[in-house]
Amino acid sequence: MYKKVLATIMTAAMVGSMFTAVAGAEEAKNIPELTTEPLTINFWDIATEEPSKSIAEAAVARFMADYPNITVNQVHQQNDNYKQQLIVAMSSGQAPDMYIHWGGGPMAEYYKSGFVNDLTDMFNTYDHPDFIDAAVAQSSYEDKVLAIPFGGLSGCDIFYNKSIFAEVDVEVPTTIDELEAVCDKLIEAGYVPFSLANGSKWTGSMYYMYLVARHSGNDEFAAAYTQEGSFTSDAFIWAGEKIQEWVNKGYFNEGFNSLVTDNGEDRALMYDNTCAMMLHGSWQVRSMNADSKEWCDANLGVFRFPEDSEAAANGVPQNVEVGTAIGNGFSFNCWNEDGSVDQTKLDACYVLATQYFNDDTYNEEQMTKAQTIPSIKGMEAGIEDENMKVVADVFFNASNVQLWYDQYLPASVTEVHKDCMTELFGLTKTPQEIGEAHDAAMQAALAE
Amino acid sequence: MKGNNEVNYRKQKMKSRIAWTIVMILAVFWLFVALVPFVFMILNSFRKQFDMLAQGVFHLPDPWFFDNYPGIIAKGFFGYFFRSVIIVVVSMILMLTISAFAAYPLSRMKFKFRAVIYAGIVAMMSIPMHVTLIPIFKMTTDMGLYDNLFALVGPYVTFALPMSVFILTAFMTTIPKEVEESAEIDGCNKYTNFFKIILPLSKSGLSTLAIYNGVSMWNEFAFANTLLQSASQKTLPLALGQFKGEHAMDMPLILAVLVLSALPMIIVFIIFQDKLVKGMMAGAVKG
Amino acid sequence: MPTSKTNSLAKARAKSTAIAATVFLLPALILIAVYMIYPVIDTFVTSTYKWNGISSDKIFVGLDNWKTLLADSSFWSSFSHNVIVMVFSILLQIPLGLLLATFLDAGGKKFNIFKIIWFFPYLMSSVAIAFLFNYILATNGGLFSSLATLITGKKTLIDLLGKNPSALFSVIGVMAWQFTPFYMVYFIAGYSNIDASLYEAAVIDGATRKQYLFKIASPLLGPIFKTACTMSLIGSLKYFDMVWNMTQGGPAGGTELMATYMYKLSFQQFNMGYGSCVAAGMFILITLIALLFQKIFVVKEDY
Repeated sequence: MYKKVLATIMTAAMVGSMFTAVAGAEEAKNIPELTTEPLTINFWDIATEEPSKSIAEAAVARFMADYPNITVNQVHQQNDNYKQQLIVAMSSGQAPDMYIHWGGGPMAEYYKSGFVNDLTDMFNTYDHPDFIDAAVAQSSYEDKVLAIPFGGLSGCDIFYNKSIFAEVDVEVPTTIDELEAVCDKLIEAGYVPFSLANGSKWTGSMYYMYLVARHSGNDEFAAAYTQEGSFTSDAFIWAGEKIQEWVNKGYFNEGFNSLVTDNGEDRALMYDNTCAMMLHGSWQVRSMNADSKEWCDANLGVFRFPEDSEAAANGVPQNVEVGTAIGNGFSFNCWNEDGSVDQTKLDACYVLATQYFNDDTYNEEQMTKAQTIPSIKGMEAGIEDENMKVVADVFFNASNVQLWYDQYLPASVTEVHKDCMTELFGLTKTPQEIGEAHDAAMQAALAE
Repeated sequence: MKGNNEVNYRKQKMKSRIAWTIVMILAVFWLFVALVPFVFMILNSFRKQFDMLAQGVFHLPDPWFFDNYPGIIAKGFFGYFFRSVIIVVVSMILMLTISAFAAYPLSRMKFKFRAVIYAGIVAMMSIPMHVTLIPIFKMTTDMGLYDNLFALVGPYVTFALPMSVFILTAFMTTIPKEVEESAEIDGCNKYTNFFKIILPLSKSGLSTLAIYNGVSMWNEFAFANTLLQSASQKTLPLALGQFKGEHAMDMPLILAVLVLSALPMIIVFIIFQDKLVKGMMAGAVKG
Repeated sequence: MPTSKTNSLAKARAKSTAIAATVFLLPALILIAVYMIYPVIDTFVTSTYKWNGISSDKIFVGLDNWKTLLADSSFWSSFSHNVIVMVFSILLQIPLGLLLATFLDAGGKKFNIFKIIWFFPYLMSSVAIAFLFNYILATNGGLFSSLATLITGKKTLIDLLGKNPSALFSVIGVMAWQFTPFYMVYFIAGYSNIDASLYEAAVIDGATRKQYLFKIASPLLGPIFKTACTMSLIGSLKYFDMVWNMTQGGPAGGTELMATYMYKLSFQQFNMGYGSCVAAGMFILITLIALLFQKIFVVKEDY
């Protein structure tokens, strides 16, 4: 049932200036010719808050200005309950024609249930932005292109307080050993090294994912996913033990298992100078800048997760990074009454998603207003924010971007994984035990 | 009135004075327990997110930040507000009428299936509302009511019914049988009895229900979120969504919205709670 | 008087009562049939399918889901959490509510300010409660850690929400805080339904306040008390809102309730068939417990 969602291999070296892809297409756009008959597209996104809301509405407005016969009924759904909304609508035959999702397991589920049009042929025939390979990979399932990326990429890196680092006189670490040395010094100086809000569970997972990736590259996770290997293999045990060692040494703030990251409780510990570092998704640049630009300008720095020098010596690649290459994708759900593809509507959706979302105006607004890097080749050249540059650098130099476990794994395993993160950090289960719990859940999911 | 009955001994007076002091201390303590989170909800709505996070939640606003409220009002707060008022008032009137109707025979008449119907209604209280989302969504679209504010009336009234019938039945049971009998002698039938005697005597029960369901309807999220989609139809609890994104939320702004939505409830409660006073029964019977 | 006449009179009476009962009950029964019975039947039907909630192919699996449910340790552990929540909700919310109401009833109008402020918690939305209590219960800088530090004189940190079973008891505490005001109002209404002349008569007879409370008020409050317990019982067995906002069932399933478990299965894990089975199981369990409670606590009802 859960066939591998495809390894997300991508090459580095992005040449050319910003917006090349779309600029080139301007001369003779190869896009489907749209109907001149009246047409209505029901479209769901989750752009409830600014600036995303205006950016998304502007893209739709540009489309409707160029195609006045087409009405786009744009609905901003609330993120919290979005998955539920989609299930209710789909099961009642009221699914929107075009909707956002996060790829991974749910996208496969929507596809198998007949709510996603296969875009492979259109994607190969018509123009589209030159998406980075990882984004195309994360928009695909069983070698079929099922979504158009649009939300931009999110890396996962360590945010740190430059002022504290200067005060304690430590440098940005490049290896895990150095990182531990930095942590010890920070503790000596009275700081807690890491701010962690593990009530949200996927936050602790970031440490686990990175330690596994640094110790074994892709290999052990890929093997564990198919259960040819196991979640109790060397790298998983090593990562688990490292985390528990760090907990015991006081690398994390007290009471982390009850803090909630969406409430900003981990950022709070950075702002009040309790903690010096925080491993988190790159959207934190946006959140923290929104909280206080002055604080960020004065204190905020970013570095990539340090390397495991021992594993590196054994030839394990050290540039497998964690994150998402698509952020969000659009899938289309355009069918005629008889179950055949409604090509007229599908064409319109395709043009809206590739030429109006993802166009120059949209991308520029994403970069400047929403501080999000579109998943399009060459975009990193236009980044101005220092911290975002680091994030983009790490991302574009990755040999592989591992999608968050909690999005990549089958939904039932995700639940187990998240609970295991609470228990691992809470020292209530051993790395061996959580590995076994993952294995059991994975086997059950594969058996379906 | 109490003065007439001062037959207590000095000793007892002393004892009761000490008891009263303890009771008052506890009462004031509970005042704080009830009030403090509320106060911090208000205080935090006058701050910027960064200040709240950096200084801690339990800190006086420093500096005070007043822009949250105008910001909310600029985003169409009153539209959401009035739609919520309309839907709660309409649902409430219907719900109170229908549940009083239903509670009357259940509490004061003997007929076949009474016990079965009563048990059935009690059983309906145990329905987890989330399982009804899909069927009710389907029904609503079939009725052409999807994305119409009034689609909420059906679910709101119905989901409040079992509990309300249950409570009102209990309340009506406490009304002495003689009251009704004497009216019947005066030539009242079951129907006039209900309107002339039972309904007025159930006022306190009805007020409780109005309070209980008023608050839950006012704050209801799941049905509203499922059945409405345009900004022109959405109710107050959905307004929160405007300040919450995938990874971002502005908590002070959200708290400001919550303060503004709680205020009218407080005012309504202050007005209604006065109805909950002793002696209503006596007055009604004598009158 | 000939018996046949009495008989037919009684019959006519019974008939008119039946008609009146039907008329009064009809609107409620129609609404309940449409909005509740139909979804419940739908839930039971869905519980016999293996279905992801969206696909057009549902696979009929008979009672397989039910067999799984009976052996599902996650379900039974969430059920046991619900039972713990239920017991403590009844033990906390009802007596506290009654106590507050008794105080207010004794004080009359001059205690209105207490009544109003005591009611505030019930007016706060679950979102705000979840957010603020997350901070109040926080390990660092939270109320309990601060108090403990103050009392012990050295830095003492209490991690309430991050550990089990303290997380569940914290949730119970917050629920009690949220719902006690409702039971307070409910009992005030109950008191107000007691004929004031009864009180006056009692006082004239030389009864003390205590005697009034125990001899006169409490039997009359009987049915009210019983419904309050039933409400608290059912409410805590299907509770969802604040727990979902505050802990999402964590840490490590320590505050997982039947409703949150059902929600995760149905709407997050594409397992609608089994999710419906959990919901149906929940429905059966809650109804059974509620009816059992009704049977055990018989209050004399006077028609």
